[in-house]
Amino acid sequence: MITPNIEQYLKHESAPKLAQAYIPIQMYRNLFNVNEALYHGTIFRELFQPYKPSHPLKF
Amino acid sequence: MDQMLSRQDLMRKIQELSFCAVELNLFLDTHPSDAQALQDYSYVLKELQQLKQNYNQKYGPLLGFGEAYVSGNYWKWVAEDEKWPWEGDMVF
Repeated sequence: MITPNIEQYLKHESAPKLAQAYIPIQMYRNLFNVNEALYHGTIFRELFQPYKPSHPLKF
Repeated sequence: MDQMLSRQDLMRKIQELSFCAVELNLFLDTHPSDAQALQDYSYVLKELQQLKQNYNQKYGPLLGFGEAYVSGNYWKWVAEDEKWPWEGDMVF
């Protein structure tokens, strides 16, 4: 049989486990001013997480 | 006060407030009964409408598809040799 038996596969001790995601409820707080928000890409300071590469990007 | 803004400043304020409206709209999708967010959302929409009206009155339509709040002078853009917002005039 070409298709693996998924039940058997998941019983194996090295089989991957199901993922459990948890995301905290976002609060309405720490807002940017109207004139700052557009330039940060969000109105929420808590969501402003700019990507900072550890080394310069090459193009 | 908005009456004193230049065309570019007025457009920038409209863009900034439009962005806030989108953000608040998204937040309210998951927090439909957040009183403060609702209050801010309606405030932003009101301000935005006022700014768009001011823009329409002073500088003409923001969109080229008949959505201007102010009627009249629809064909001004044909007669005048200038770029309109939807033609890439307002890229900062």
